[in-house]
Amino acid sequence: MSELPKPIEERIQHFLPRNLLHDLRTPLGHILGYSELLIEQMQESGHEEFIPHLEKIRKAGRELVVMMSENFKSK
Amino acid sequence: MPRILLVEDNEMNRDMLSRRLQRRGYEVLIAVDGQLGVEMAQAELPDLILMDMSLPTIDGWEATRALKAAAATKDIPVIALTAHAMSTDRDKAIEAGCDDYDTKPIELSRLLGKMETLLGQSGGSAGPTQ
Repeated sequence: MSELPKPIEERIQHFLPRNLLHDLRTPLGHILGYSELLIEQMQESGHEEFIPHLEKIRKAGRELVVMMSENFKSK
Repeated sequence: MPRILLVEDNEMNRDMLSRRLQRRGYEVLIAVDGQLGVEMAQAELPDLILMDMSLPTIDGWEATRALKAAAATKDIPVIALTAHAMSTDRDKAIEAGCDDYDTKPIELSRLLGKMETLLGQSGGSAGPTQ
């Protein structure tokens, strides 16, 4: 999506309700926050085998954050 | 142990952030709307306030203005937290009296850095004693 020609990107921003970005960020925050919390807990409790899976969830969440930030920059 | 007042109406955000802060040695007080946030800040005088801005009863901007207008609470640092990421949101929070601003999804290390800076400036310990 970062490769979109600017006119299309501008059109998408125009039609996206401002609250949609807010509403996307809230559950994304839950995914990231709980995956990071679980990683900490697994590290402490010695359940290292779960960590790679949780890292994948966190990584995917962070990629979504970057994607949103890059394509819907603050005005 | 620094006492943090978290003013947040979203149950999952409250649960997640309070647990992560408690794990780092902070004592976390909770208010679920703006009015309760103001009342709890006045009663408990926390070391720092994490203020969601989209809140029921009174929103975070109004709650912050009320806190900064009262002698007892005006020096308590307030960090605005919002899922809105527009530059105008940051300006609006600072105009309301917030000392700093952070966007959701929260990046904990970034938020902790801001908290420790403000706790250091306000004369408290810069971070929790572990």
